[in-house]
Amino acid sequence: MKAAFIAYNQAFVDEVEQILHQLNIRGYTRWVDVQGRGTKTGEPHLGSHAWPGKNMATLCIVEDAIAPILKKRIQGLDHSAPEQGIRVFFWETMDV
Amino acid sequence: MKIYESSVKKPVLVSIAFIAVMIMGIFSYSKLSVDLMPEFDMNMAIAIVTYPNASSEDVENNVTKILEQTLSTVNDLKKLTSTSKDNVSMVTVEFEWGTDMDDAVNDMRDKLELIKMSLPDGASSPMIFKLSTDMMPVAIYAVDAQESMAGLYKILDDNMSNPLQRIEGVGSVTIAGAPEREIVALVDPNKMEAYNLTVEAIGARIAAENLNMPSGKYYVGNESYNLRIEGEFKESDQLKDIVVSNNGGPIYLKDIAVVRDSLQEKVQESYINGKKGATVVISKQNGANSVDVMNKINKALPQIKKNLPSDIQITEVMNSTDNIRNSVASLEETILLAFLFVVVVIMYFLGEWRSALIVVITIPVSLIGAFIYLFATGNTLNIISLSALGIAIGMVVDDAIVVMENVSTHISRGAKPREAAIYGTNEVAVSVVATTLTLIAVFFPFTMLSGMAGIMFKQLGWMMCIIMVVSTVSALTLTPMLCSLIYKQKEKNASKQQTEKKKNKVQIIIEKQLTALDNAYERLLTWAVNHKPTTIIVSTVIFVLSLMLTKFIGTDFVPASDNAMISGSIELPAGASVERSKEIATRFYNYMKTTYPDEMLRMTYTVGSPSEDSDNSFALMQTSGDNYISFRIKLKDIKERKRTIFEISELMRKEIASYPEVAKSTVTPGGQQGGMTGGSNIEVQIYGYDLEKTTKLANDYKAGMSKIDGLKDITISRKDYTPQYNIVFDREKLTANGLDFATASTFVRNRMNGMTASLYREDGEEYKIKVRYAEEFRKSTEDIENITLYSTTGRAIKLGEVAKVVEKFAPPEIERRDRERIVTVKATLYGTTIDKAKAAIEQLNENLSIPSGISVEIGGSLEDQQDTFGDMGLLAVIIIILVYSVMAGEFESFRSPFIIMFSIPFALTGMFLSLWLTGQTINMMSLIGAIMLIGIVVKNGIVLVDYINLNRERGLSIVTSIVSGGKSRLRPVLMTTATTVLGMLPMALGIGEGSELWQPMGIVIVGGLLVSTLVTLVLIPTLYGSFAASKLNRQRRSLRKKNRKEVIA
Repeated sequence: MKAAFIAYNQAFVDEVEQILHQLNIRGYTRWVDVQGRGTKTGEPHLGSHAWPGKNMATLCIVEDAIAPILKKRIQGLDHSAPEQGIRVFFWETMDV
Repeated sequence: MKIYESSVKKPVLVSIAFIAVMIMGIFSYSKLSVDLMPEFDMNMAIAIVTYPNASSEDVENNVTKILEQTLSTVNDLKKLTSTSKDNVSMVTVEFEWGTDMDDAVNDMRDKLELIKMSLPDGASSPMIFKLSTDMMPVAIYAVDAQESMAGLYKILDDNMSNPLQRIEGVGSVTIAGAPEREIVALVDPNKMEAYNLTVEAIGARIAAENLNMPSGKYYVGNESYNLRIEGEFKESDQLKDIVVSNNGGPIYLKDIAVVRDSLQEKVQESYINGKKGATVVISKQNGANSVDVMNKINKALPQIKKNLPSDIQITEVMNSTDNIRNSVASLEETILLAFLFVVVVIMYFLGEWRSALIVVITIPVSLIGAFIYLFATGNTLNIISLSALGIAIGMVVDDAIVVMENVSTHISRGAKPREAAIYGTNEVAVSVVATTLTLIAVFFPFTMLSGMAGIMFKQLGWMMCIIMVVSTVSALTLTPMLCSLIYKQKEKNASKQQTEKKKNKVQIIIEKQLTALDNAYERLLTWAVNHKPTTIIVSTVIFVLSLMLTKFIGTDFVPASDNAMISGSIELPAGASVERSKEIATRFYNYMKTTYPDEMLRMTYTVGSPSEDSDNSFALMQTSGDNYISFRIKLKDIKERKRTIFEISELMRKEIASYPEVAKSTVTPGGQQGGMTGGSNIEVQIYGYDLEKTTKLANDYKAGMSKIDGLKDITISRKDYTPQYNIVFDREKLTANGLDFATASTFVRNRMNGMTASLYREDGEEYKIKVRYAEEFRKSTEDIENITLYSTTGRAIKLGEVAKVVEKFAPPEIERRDRERIVTVKATLYGTTIDKAKAAIEQLNENLSIPSGISVEIGGSLEDQQDTFGDMGLLAVIIIILVYSVMAGEFESFRSPFIIMFSIPFALTGMFLSLWLTGQTINMMSLIGAIMLIGIVVKNGIVLVDYINLNRERGLSIVTSIVSGGKSRLRPVLMTTATTVLGMLPMALGIGEGSELWQPMGIVIVGGLLVSTLVTLVLIPTLYGSFAASKLNRQRRSLRKKNRKEVIA
């Protein structure tokens, strides 16, 4: 089992939800109105006057086999609109 | 959930809500009445007290002063003026504009009730008379007749006046110039004396003969009958056969008098295009809308005309609603044109129909919303409310543009339209609301104005506030909703070239132009930021130079407008006969006819005084007299003639001046009705007790003022001494002959003026039967002296034995203002401005020696102007403070709004420049434009500074922040400026009738906004740069100090 943490521009909320649905990932935890900025490129999303964009984050626990597919789908989404910003991070879960 | 989020998610609800608003708006629009100005009450009331047999000075001392003293304590009093004439005292109370007149009049009544007792014996109780706008006629018709001339009065009364009066909203219909029928017995005094008869005895005889009397009931068996004696004349001829005396055989009335069933002897005569006829004056009821009333009259007229004899021609002389309708129509045209201009600008900048559609749709939505307000508050479509629409048209799109632009940026980054709409709106919502707040800070104080300016601009303030709020709401709901539906998501992997290809040639050209402009601006801005002192000095010099222009710009009150009407009067010296006046009038008419055949539609004039017992209230309110001619000229539409009413009036003045017989004359372009829009006047007010000295001074002023250029129609308010014959009775001789004053004077009156003996009835109408001396016996002073008076004992005495007939001059009326005697010398301005006229008169003051005890003031339109300009100045200060506060709150800074405020002086520069170039004056309308500019010009500054701040927060250097921020905001600034400027341009161009009124406002806004935008685009970023740099230097210095201290420690 892997934990997938998806951080994305709030405009991607529908797409992310759709991907999870298609991959049959039912359970997740979502934070709305989170802030963040990319390591190298991209605009910060801080919900401030200077950087008005805002992020959302979704945490879900997926089967090991699903993880690469999820990664591919998220990267595909990122590629379709690189300026919006979406990242997914995985780590091992000890127990469910 | 935020409002924009829910509207994107519920497009059906939002559409239905806006469609409902539109439907209600259109419904309200269809129900709105049309008027020229917002409705207001006349602010005057008059208290009248008659005090018989008192001279004007007695009236002044015993009545007027007492009235003035109490009336000066009423609430909301603005001005107290009075006129004391022989027998009558009239005190006019002028209240502050906007006072509730019912309350005010009640207050007056209460006050007068208290002093009733202190009025002298013989004085009547005070009568209060409220002036109202419905005393002004709505329409005047001229009636021209051939065969029916004799019976004209009755024909018109039955067939025109009565049906018209039945129309809802019509107040009164009066017929002037049509002589009324009258039955007169013209007696021969010699024959009368021979039979030992008097006028009174004959009158009493007629009254006794012309009688119907019910005489009780009469019973026959079971039946009862009414008993009636019918002695009333069936025909006027019966009068001749009345037996007036039985002194040695019957003496019939026809033996001693000529009985005439004809028309009144001398009445006011009206002429239409040189032909004698009658005029029908229609006035409306209080509160009725002129245009509505007029529409109904026009509907009824064809039927009325059908019922009249075929030789009677009815022509319209004056119609107060033509001008209203035309002005409103040309303003509506102007607004449509503005709408077109704005659409073109939006298309140019956005280059794409989707965005343009989203933005343009806000215009009808916001504007139509305002109609609901007008309808709900019972207001009308008038020049002010329509101007508000014209001003708003270019401004309502701004919010929508900002929202739409941000949403499309999100879409171009790959967001789906739905999300882009929600989050794109979210980002700009605060600044959209803030800019709207600045505008409300400008327009809301308008709603709190008082006085004349309040009446004019309250409505404008409310309209603008409502339109702005609606447009903001629409930008936050309708615009994102439409964006989410109309925009398409950017195609995946679509390269730049592909999107470029989709654009057509025109779009590519426009894009190239705009990019070139962006780059040029970037270079200019970089140069300016690097040469701050030069930029600031150059701007200051521009501003100071523009202030110099004020020397060449005149000031005025309300711009004069051409409504195709000229009215005026010609006065011959006092005592001139009607015949002489008629002759002059005909000469003047012929001049008009031959000089302006292509421009004049018709001319009507009245000569003479209305008969004493006439019920023509309109005529009684106006000045009249045997020596007085009043005329009214209707010209063709302004489009069909070359000369304006002002030019024609000037030529008419020159013509009248060439008639040696004329003593006084006035020519009023725009007519009395024009009132506010017919141009300005100036008044020299001479206060002083001594009648002789003040009259002399007034004449000196008149002489001096006639030499000043641009002062026309100079008149002195105090009337000349008028010649009259006084019958001076010797009281002792009267008493010795067993006569008293009252009896003797009634005798004279009955013989000269006639005695109304009885009434003759025919077809339900009543006509007077009068007994009077035949005309040949009342022609000379001897005739008067030959009048026989009878004492109580029946002894006959000639008037000459107990009285003398002397020629005298009647003293003038005494006018007072604010409880001091006053004479005013009034002049109309043409080709000059109030400030110039005032300066010239002040020059005159120095040359004239003003005796002690007399003071001189300058007034007229000047007073209104000073009042209004004062109000406007205060308003401007309040608005500037409010706008600053709103901005300070928005930026959370005292410095940024301060920098932005620097765009206001350059709005003034633009205003002066444009007024100077177009030759317009600083007047109420241009000042209103200037005040609105405060809110409009700071908007550009807000956009610029906001974005530069944003760049700084993103960590860019000062110069980069300024240059890149400026560059990226150039298009939105230019676009919102262009929509406002082009939206006002049709107003500034002054198309159509009545446009003189709103043209100055349009010119000021266009000029001020253009200049201010051009200067602020460079100056504001530069100032920002120097302020930011000095702040940075201060911070560095303090940091260095701190470091040094640390090092030392």
